[in-house]
Amino acid sequence: MDQNQTQNQTNLLQGTLDLLILKAIGAGELHGLGISRRIEQITQGTFRVKPGSLFPALHRMEDAGWLSSGWGESENNRRAKFYRLTKPGHRQLGNETKQWARVALAMTNALKAT
Amino acid sequence: MALRILTAIRNLRHKRHLEARLDAEVRSWADLLTDEKIAAGMSPDEARRTALAESGGLEQIKQAVRDRRPGTAFEVFAQDLRYALRQLLRSPAFAALAILTLAIGIGANTAIFSFVNALLLRPLPYPNADRLTILWSGLGYSNRAPFSSFELYQLRQRTTQFDQLAGIWVTNGALPGEGDAEQVKVADTTSNFLPLLCPRPALGRFFGPQDDIPDAPNTIILSHAAWVRRFGSNPAIIGKFVPFGRQKAQVIGVLPASFRLVFPDDASVPPNVEVFSSVPVGPWDPQGPAFLHVIGRLRNGSNIARAQAEADSAVRQINALAGRSSLASFRLYVFSLQADDVREVRRTLLVLFGGVALVLLIGCANIANLLMARARRRLRETTIRAALGASRSRLVRQLLTESLLLGCFGGIAALALGWAATRAILAARPPTFVNFGDVTLDWRVLAFTFAVAICTSMLFGLAPVLATRRLDLTRNLKDSGRQSGWRRRHWSSALVSAEVALAFVLLLATGLLTRTFVNILRLDPGFHPENVFTFRINAPGYAPLHQLQQGLAAIPGVQSVAAISHLPLDDAGNWYDYYWKEGAPAELQNTVMADHRSILPGFFSTIGVTLLEGRDFTDSDDATHQHVVIIDDILARQLWPNGDAIGSKLNISDSPQGPYQFQRDWAVVIGVVRHVQYHSLTAIVRSQIYVPYPLAPRPSMSFVIHTAGVVPNLAGSVRRQVALVNRQMPITHVEPLSLLVDRAHAESRFASLLATLLSVIALLLASIGIYGVLSYSVAQRTMEIGIRMAIGAHRAHVMKMILADGFAWVLPGVLAGVLLSFLVTPLLERLLFGVNPGNPGNYAFILAVVLLVSALAAFLPARRAMKIDPLTALRYE
Repeated sequence: MDQNQTQNQTNLLQGTLDLLILKAIGAGELHGLGISRRIEQITQGTFRVKPGSLFPALHRMEDAGWLSSGWGESENNRRAKFYRLTKPGHRQLGNETKQWARVALAMTNALKAT
Repeated sequence: MALRILTAIRNLRHKRHLEARLDAEVRSWADLLTDEKIAAGMSPDEARRTALAESGGLEQIKQAVRDRRPGTAFEVFAQDLRYALRQLLRSPAFAALAILTLAIGIGANTAIFSFVNALLLRPLPYPNADRLTILWSGLGYSNRAPFSSFELYQLRQRTTQFDQLAGIWVTNGALPGEGDAEQVKVADTTSNFLPLLCPRPALGRFFGPQDDIPDAPNTIILSHAAWVRRFGSNPAIIGKFVPFGRQKAQVIGVLPASFRLVFPDDASVPPNVEVFSSVPVGPWDPQGPAFLHVIGRLRNGSNIARAQAEADSAVRQINALAGRSSLASFRLYVFSLQADDVREVRRTLLVLFGGVALVLLIGCANIANLLMARARRRLRETTIRAALGASRSRLVRQLLTESLLLGCFGGIAALALGWAATRAILAARPPTFVNFGDVTLDWRVLAFTFAVAICTSMLFGLAPVLATRRLDLTRNLKDSGRQSGWRRRHWSSALVSAEVALAFVLLLATGLLTRTFVNILRLDPGFHPENVFTFRINAPGYAPLHQLQQGLAAIPGVQSVAAISHLPLDDAGNWYDYYWKEGAPAELQNTVMADHRSILPGFFSTIGVTLLEGRDFTDSDDATHQHVVIIDDILARQLWPNGDAIGSKLNISDSPQGPYQFQRDWAVVIGVVRHVQYHSLTAIVRSQIYVPYPLAPRPSMSFVIHTAGVVPNLAGSVRRQVALVNRQMPITHVEPLSLLVDRAHAESRFASLLATLLSVIALLLASIGIYGVLSYSVAQRTMEIGIRMAIGAHRAHVMKMILADGFAWVLPGVLAGVLLSFLVTPLLERLLFGVNPGNPGNYAFILAVVLLVSALAAFLPARRAMKIDPLTALRYE
């Protein structure tokens, strides 16, 4: 990946990282690498979240009460910390999804305007 | 928010636990990623390496998480602070030097700012101080003259922008009370003067309209000091009559202890007036004498410009009044009282402020250089820290924390030093530093000091940041941590050049101020103060004065004795008026002003004033004979340009009945003497007219006694003689006449002394700067020099090389200093006397001094370079 692309990615990620994480965990609990892979998968590889961004975000969202965590075994029997959505986290996912839809619609319309 | 704070506290308390979990989590990430790579077919080793590379470093991830943790900012700051403190303790010599430099630099600023604060920023100690103005009248060449009672009355009638217009006139008088009578300053004030400046008296009442009625009893108000000293703080004094002047006066009030008069130096209104009496204001004499210094309080919502415009039109009306023909060009100026009070000292203070700022900048440059050298020496350590996961911003923050810590220590030391310097300056202050009350460390001075400390630490803190701007991890680690080459020294050399430039400016300014001081010392005041001893008494009339004169002359060792109403260069009240020659047309009658001096015969020979023409007074020049006067050469030239002054007649004003009932009178000029500098050594303020004491009795006289060398216990003999004449006569101001001349030198001595002190510090700092940077450079180039010498460079050549290196920074600095001086010295103009700021001689002299000192500072490191042994230098690597 060249420098430019990384730059674009980071910029894109800035506002949307939280939403992507919430969405990724929405389906069930995941550990850090799992979340990263899941985001890659659901965005068809557009976003690859680096651990330097992922972990601070996870810890922040946990402090905010959207996520809870616990230690468990991974699919290949390694100890790992798993994150799941809390009730406020579910609410947050709903709110941010609606918010995003509004922004996306507005942006699309804005760009279509001549 | 509350949640964040709680989390922050929890994080701080469970730090170890948190760290362990974070470590496990990040490790598990790496393990999982490695597993993934192995599953994809990589070898375990390769998988591990790729996983770590892709993650961007586990420590970095952990730091990123820590950085966003609530409470981390505080923790990081505490960490940085601890680290900074450790760094400073590790090199105590550096820390001490830096803190000392800062203490001197900031301390000097604190001291000067304390004065700026007390004199220029803090309001005057009066109610509604911002609305107080001072009024000056102008006539002929004078723009700062007092007003007559008539003029004040007319102004009150014709202005609306002032709530109050009040006047004061200060003279000398005797105050009775416990013990011998004492001579003090007495002020005649209009009845509204004191209420304007003081909310309420400590005891009794202020003057009121009842005191202005013509036949009202004489009333006086005492200063707090006089009440304590003369009346033992007895409150029962209110309402009592005490002897005052030739009559008795009723004490009606005592002022608060904090009350102080703050007037411009040239208003002859000193701060220590001890008795106030009241003077009525009325339209009685359109051409009456001008003696009242007038202050006005602006109406709420008015301003100086509006008041001046209104006063201008009032003046036009007054000039058109009947009986004012000879005063028809009367002018009036309104200034803010505070601005007028400090108009002389403002420039001196601001110039000094500039000087201390330059010293601080030079100090800053030195510390910046030290820090930069340190940062370079620590480059390897810094690089390792960066490699271990410290972010760039974290490293910068750490460097700045260290500078800030230095700044804070420096600031604290500066407060102590500044306080001491303030006391020292107060002890040596010139009289133009009017008594504004306490020059204290108030919140403004504290805030200023710490703002300066923080700003300067940020300023020199930038240096190490710049020095470590480009962190090339691999190269710095591979390198032995030793930097070579020119590029890295650019910043240091620029700083040294700047130091040299600033020091040059300070030195040049000091040179100019010192030459001014020398010029003023050399000035001829018009008299010879050597071996002249003076004292002031409350004059009891001609006969006792005459008796005293003869008694004093009989003291062994005394050569001659005389007396005068106002000594030259003294702070006593002043007396001046308009004078004109016989036959002068009305429009020329009130144009020439002269100082009026009442003297006893022999005054001129006693203090060495040259008699140019005619004769001195004799004991028979009294009221019963032809009235005679002696004038100075300036008045003689003004009124009699053809040189025929002797024998001509002059109109004089006098007051045999009291200060407000004047009698015009013609007197014959019998002598012309050289002009005496009565008010200032550098300026001719007014010409002089001398009148024999019997024609112009004054309440206060100063005796002058010329002795042959030192006379043992002269003061004791004088007191005995005075006691023989009158036991109740108070003696004050017992001092040599030379002391008055010394006092007149005070301002320029003060400026030159402080400037010298500042430039010595500046030059010292600049040479430390040159020495430091050059030493560092020699240390860095030891190997290079070793190689040069090994391949045949001569020792002298090496020395020349290092010296040239040093002068490569000094010369641009000197050039910049010369250019800067061209810009800055015009600001000094008003402080200079008899010196041309652009004189190339001064520049050449300072240039020589700077080059010499720079050469000395560069010589030591150059000698060290010369002594390098090539073998040792090469082996050392």
